[in-house]
Amino acid sequence: MQRMFMRRVVLALLLMLAATALTFWLVTAAPGNVAALIAERAAGAGADGEMIAKIADDLGLNDPLPVRYARWLGDALTGDFGVSLRTGKPMAEEFAERIPMTLALLTGGGVLALVLSLAMGIAGAASNGGIVDRLLHGMALIGASTPNFFVAAMLVIVFSVWLGMVPTFGVSGLTSWLLPWITIALFPASVLARVVRVNLQDTMSRPFATTGFAKGLTRRAVLLREALPNIAIPYMTTFGAQFTLMIIGAIVVERVFGLNGVGAFFIEAIRFRDFIGMQATLTLFVVFFVSINLLVDLLAMLADPRLRRPKKA
Amino acid sequence: MKNWPWAILAPAFIFVLIGIFSPWLMTHDPAAQDYGALLKGPSWDHWLGTDYLGRDMFSRIIGGARTSLVAMAFVLVAALAIGVVIGSFAGYVGGKTELVLISVIDIALALPSLVIALALMGVFSGENFNWMSDYWKMVVALTLAWWANYARMSRAVVVAELQQPYIEAARVMGASHIWIFTRHILPHVLGLVVVYASADAGALVLAIATLSFLGLGVAPPTPEWGQMLVDGMSYIEENAALVIIPGLALTAVVVSFNLLGEAFALQKVPRAVRGRLLARKKAARAAEEIARQEVEA
Repeated sequence: MQRMFMRRVVLALLLMLAATALTFWLVTAAPGNVAALIAERAAGAGADGEMIAKIADDLGLNDPLPVRYARWLGDALTGDFGVSLRTGKPMAEEFAERIPMTLALLTGGGVLALVLSLAMGIAGAASNGGIVDRLLHGMALIGASTPNFFVAAMLVIVFSVWLGMVPTFGVSGLTSWLLPWITIALFPASVLARVVRVNLQDTMSRPFATTGFAKGLTRRAVLLREALPNIAIPYMTTFGAQFTLMIIGAIVVERVFGLNGVGAFFIEAIRFRDFIGMQATLTLFVVFFVSINLLVDLLAMLADPRLRRPKKA
Repeated sequence: MKNWPWAILAPAFIFVLIGIFSPWLMTHDPAAQDYGALLKGPSWDHWLGTDYLGRDMFSRIIGGARTSLVAMAFVLVAALAIGVVIGSFAGYVGGKTELVLISVIDIALALPSLVIALALMGVFSGENFNWMSDYWKMVVALTLAWWANYARMSRAVVVAELQQPYIEAARVMGASHIWIFTRHILPHVLGLVVVYASADAGALVLAIATLSFLGLGVAPPTPEWGQMLVDGMSYIEENAALVIIPGLALTAVVVSFNLLGEAFALQKVPRAVRGRLLARKKAARAAEEIARQEVEA
C-alpha cells in the first residue's frame, strides 16, 4: 500500500521534471535570440550587438542547455521564475496577483459543476427513460458541445446587453462572478452528468440493488443509498480530468470577462513572445495538472483496494 | 449496419458537403468589404446580414465551414497516422523501447492538448519559424498536441490483441511479424482509432475555433468561426447576430459530431474491414456443411 503510494508520487515528480524540461527546451529554442529580445525591450531600437552580447553573457545564455535547465530548475524550486519580458515584473509577483483570481474561478466552477452534474444525473436516473431523462440527456449533449466562449458571449448578450443586470467586464460582487462560473462549469457538468447517469443505470442492475428492492426499499432509497456510493470512483476520476480541463475554460473566460488571471497572462505571454512568462505559466499548469491527477489516483486507491495491488504485467 | 441510425449521420455529412462545395455556395466574396452596408440585418442581397466591415455573413459562414473542415481533416489524418505508428510500434515491440515511448506519450499527455497547442503557437511565433504561414503553424501545433491520445489508444489495443491465442497460433504457423501486424493487429487498431477519431472531430473543430478566438489561430482575411465570433464581440450592442450566427454554426457542427460518436459507441462499431466479414460468413457456411455431413454419417 505505502509502496504503491510512494511509487505514484515519485512517478508524478518525474513526470513534472520531464515535462518542464521539454517545455524549457522548446521555449528556449524558439525565440531565436532571447538576449536580442531583452535588449530590444530595454533600449528600444537602439540595442547594438555589444549590448546583446553582454546580456547573453550575463544571463548565461551561451551555456549548454542542460546547464541552463539545471540553473532554471534551481531558481524555480526557490520560487524564482525570472522576470516577465512583457510586464517587467518578477513572475513570482505576477503569480501572487493572478493565482487567487484563477483559483476562485476554478473553485467556483468546480463546485457548480459538482452540484449540477449530481442533480442532473440523479434526476435522469430517477426518471429512467422518461421525459425528464431524455430532456436532460439532450441538455447534456448540447452543454458538452457548445464552445465555452460562445456560452460566455451568450451570457454577456442576454444578461448584460439585453437585461442590463451585470456589468460586461471585470468582477464586482458575487453576481458578476456568476457568469464566469456558469461558463466554466457547463462543459464539465454536462460530461459528469452523463457519467453519473450511465453508472447509476449500471449499478441499479447489479444484484445488491435487486436485494434492496426485495427488502422492500423504495426506488429512491435504492438509488441514493445503495447505488450512489458505488459511482464514487468513476465520478472522482472523471471529475479530476474535467477539473484540469477547466484550465482551458479559465483561459477563455478570463479573456472574455477581462479578468486578470493566470490564463489571460498566458495568452498575453504567447502573443508578446514573453518566453520567460510562458515557461513559468506552463510550469504552473504542469504542476497543477499532474498533482490533480496524482490526487485523484491516490484517492481512488484509498477508496478501492483492488487498485492498490501492483499491476500484473 | 441494418439498424444504423442514418439520420444521425446527416448533419455531420451536410457539414462536410458544405465545406467541400463552399466556393459554389457563397453568394459574395467573403473578404469583400462594403462600407455602404455596415452591420446590416438580413436582406434579399445579404441573407444573414453584414458584419462591421460590410462583409456578407452568409458567405463568411460558408467559407468558415471550409476553413474548419480542411484544418480538421489535416490534423486528424496526421495525428492519427503518427499516433497509430508510434503507439502500435511501442505495443508490438515491447521491452525498453516500449518504456521509452510510453514515457514520451505520458509527457505529451501531462497537459491538456489545447494548452500544448497554445504553447506551441507561442513557440512557433519565434523568428526561427517564420517560414511557416499562420495556418500551417496552427495545423502543426494541433497535430503535435493531438497524436498522443491516438498513440496511447493504439498501444493499448495492440497489447490486448497480442495476448489472444490466435496470434500465438499464427506465430506457430510461421507467420512473419509484418504479416501478423498488418493482417491481424492493424485492422483492430484502425477499427477502434478511426471510430474514436470520428467522435474527436468535433473536439478538434472546437479547438481550431478556440485558437482563433484567442487570436492565435487562423489569420484575419480567411473566414473562420471563432475569429468571426471574437470580432463580433465588439459590436454586441449594435448587432448581436454577428456573435450568435457563428456560435450557432459551431455548436451545430460539434453537436453533430458528438451525436456521431455516441451512435458509434452504441452500435459497437460497424466492421472496419469488409473482407473480414465475408471471410467469417464463408467460415460459418463451411462449419454448417461439416455439421451436416456429420449428421448424415
